[in-house]
Amino acid sequence: MHTVLGNMFVSLNFATAIQVSLLGFIGGVLSGFIGSGGAFFMTPGMMNLGVTGVVAVGSNITHKFGKAMVGSKQHGKLGNVDRRLGICLILASFVGIQIAVWINSRLFKGGGDGHGAGGSAAADLYISMVFICILSFVAVSMLRDALKSRGPDGDQGPSMKISNFLARLYLPPYISFPVSDIRISLWVLIAVGLATGYLAGTIGVGGFIGVPSMIYIFGVPTAVATGTELYLAMFMGAFGALNYAFQGFVDIRLTVLLYIGSLLGIFVGVYGTKVVKEILIRVVTGTIILLCVLSRGIAVPMYLRKIGWLDMNPNWDVYFNGASKFLLFAAGTTGMLIILFNVIRAYRQRRRIERSLRGVRKMEPSAAVRLDVSEQTN
Amino acid sequence: MQIVCISGGGSNRTKALADRTAHKLGYQSLNREQLVEEAVKEGIQVSKLETATIKPQIFSERLALEREYYRAFMTLFLGKQATEKGTVYDGRSGHLLFSGIDHVLKVRVVEDETSRVKEVMQQLNIDGKKARRYLNDVDADRNKWARSMYSVSLEDAAHYDVMLNLGHMSVENAAAALSAIAQLPDFQVTPASQRSIEDLMLGANARVLLARDERTFRANVKVRADRGVVTVTYLPQDAAIAKIIPEVITPLAGVREVSVTMATTNILWIGEAFEANSEAFEHVVEIATKWNAAIELLQFVPQEAEGQEDLLSADEPAALSQRPDFVRECIGGIEEEGEVVCDDGGYQETQEALARLGCAGGGRRIVGGAAQIVKSIDRTVTYTLIVIGDMFLTKGRSAQMRLTRQLQGHLSDQIKDPIVNAEDLKSEFLFGRRDLLRLIGGLGIFSLILFLIFTFQEPVLKFLSGVEVKAKVLAAVTVFIFVPGIAFLYGNVARSVMKLIRME
Repeated sequence: MHTVLGNMFVSLNFATAIQVSLLGFIGGVLSGFIGSGGAFFMTPGMMNLGVTGVVAVGSNITHKFGKAMVGSKQHGKLGNVDRRLGICLILASFVGIQIAVWINSRLFKGGGDGHGAGGSAAADLYISMVFICILSFVAVSMLRDALKSRGPDGDQGPSMKISNFLARLYLPPYISFPVSDIRISLWVLIAVGLATGYLAGTIGVGGFIGVPSMIYIFGVPTAVATGTELYLAMFMGAFGALNYAFQGFVDIRLTVLLYIGSLLGIFVGVYGTKVVKEILIRVVTGTIILLCVLSRGIAVPMYLRKIGWLDMNPNWDVYFNGASKFLLFAAGTTGMLIILFNVIRAYRQRRRIERSLRGVRKMEPSAAVRLDVSEQTN
Repeated sequence: MQIVCISGGGSNRTKALADRTAHKLGYQSLNREQLVEEAVKEGIQVSKLETATIKPQIFSERLALEREYYRAFMTLFLGKQATEKGTVYDGRSGHLLFSGIDHVLKVRVVEDETSRVKEVMQQLNIDGKKARRYLNDVDADRNKWARSMYSVSLEDAAHYDVMLNLGHMSVENAAAALSAIAQLPDFQVTPASQRSIEDLMLGANARVLLARDERTFRANVKVRADRGVVTVTYLPQDAAIAKIIPEVITPLAGVREVSVTMATTNILWIGEAFEANSEAFEHVVEIATKWNAAIELLQFVPQEAEGQEDLLSADEPAALSQRPDFVRECIGGIEEEGEVVCDDGGYQETQEALARLGCAGGGRRIVGGAAQIVKSIDRTVTYTLIVIGDMFLTKGRSAQMRLTRQLQGHLSDQIKDPIVNAEDLKSEFLFGRRDLLRLIGGLGIFSLILFLIFTFQEPVLKFLSGVEVKAKVLAAVTVFIFVPGIAFLYGNVARSVMKLIRME
């Protein structure tokens, strides 16, 4: 892959631009469907296209900033944003992001010649390892919950072990949040905020930690958790974008290309959540994340070799990179196709119903009701 | 007969207050334990519901049905008890079962923490610290119950008529105050409030019957009743039971008609008058068809209080005798069954048209000011959209627009569901000429930006990766301003595309 301005920014041709937009679309569909930012797919996807890890994270967090701003505005209209909770989390998150940006830029600059390969590999390895650890945990938890929900009692919701454990602890002072109707210990709030900020700053993944934390640790209603997370993501994204842009790690071309796909994909993904069964959502999500983790894991030996921790033939890099890229795209594309299949099927079904209803407008009342029933029966 | 619902902290003093109030009024006293016992006898799994609601987890489909069954049963049981004799009910959320019924006095009782802690210390033989934590947990659980069962907070003062602080009042005096308030004209049974509670009980009765019937107990249905017309909405997956529903409900006393509609969600349409041939009707129906929603009508009959120019501040419904003839006839409940001869502002005609189109979601009529609208909206039902239609028709065009906007703002402050003016329906949810222009314009500007970025890639990247502090600050500020702008611009383009293909 050719690079420009030293070896910091990747050279983009038409084919690469299409691939980045496609990454954005798949990330957007998954993001709208799963409710997270989609960074788990887009960040490694860009890295596989030759973008250095730190630029991929910087460009993605910048992309997340604008996207979260649009999303939180929409959620705000619906009253799904707990601003007080959001602001409290933001304060802790800023510290977390600052730590993450500092570690990333130290690793990037410390290992090589400023924007050199050695430094890039060290940062890539670090980002990949955090990515693998955190998302393995998320994926396994999600799949375990999905499997549990197949039991005789149906969907009993995710494990409440953490929530119950924290409820037993008495950790004053507590803060009340009227919009979410909850009381939270300040210490738990700080811990979650720090973790969310650190992960957002390190791998561009915040929603995966923020939304489940708010639901399962704090007890926030799901819609409010999503809206508040977007509100939080807007500030974290802004802060991350400013930091990465100040360091010179934002490739605005990648950000714009990601928008082309992601903002369309989000609408499709959100539509998917309304027409796909809950258990399928969890299974698809968990499997996609697990495959993304595997894809990142395959790339680790390359980074280890680059920083001299593994003695491996450099010619093998192409195979590792290829396998990693293939797995990532296969995971994302398969997930997206499953979602698209269900979305299109539901969309066509709805249009058919609409046509039927339009057709009966001139009919007698009783006949219309009968047709309404029979339409559904068929 | 009258119902007094007391929601307190479950302490002995609250129980004593309920008993004393009942005694003073000559009513019967019921408490939550008695109702729960009846619900358990009915076969409702109350303990499972309790466990599911106090923990922050997602309700399973089966438990969600159990929740509906429980709510309907409690409404029916308490309502039936009150039919024979005035009732004082001491329970956490009785007031939410009868939301919007004027002759149900809804009371919130609070106590000072010290006396509550003392009571718990004596009852459970624990120290003060543990007792305080226990009370905090109990209060949190009660709130979670209300949020989970009725989607509202127990702390929300808007759901109560009276709040009493027992910390500053003896039980005896508090009971005397409550019994005096209960005898005020505002809380007496009127034909309108009697009809409202009858409708509520008929709907609850129908829901209980559907839950009892082995053919329909698994169906996720919502039931509403309005003057004997029972409207049942069911989900697409329950289509097979649609024909059975009328069989189950029709034998119920008081049922004049059963309307069965397939819907996955609800739209509430508020208006003074409705017209089945209007543009607004077409737009609402188009959106309902698109979203698979049932349309519920809420006809608002404005009652301007004496000396008040602004209907939004006319909160109190006037006494029946002071209301216009049309209101007395149509709302006051004095017309004979099946003989609605008054000008009902197109209500009946619109209901029939909606039924023809398979998207009728029932309806009701209210009299008063904006507060009455807020009061009459069932907070336990989630509406995908609330549409404000033709309102304040006696006012001039400008005043009409201003008051409608004010009403929209007022409702938005009180209700979380999205609220839109009927005139904005098209621009918000349907693809029109303005959307087309916005789509073309947005796409054009976005393409131009894209063209410029990719034509001048190297200078752009060079600018963004400057090494001087000044250059770095400039790059950061540029990114900070540019990115939200482009996101909003392209976000609107994407939204318009989705509207165009009807996939919002």
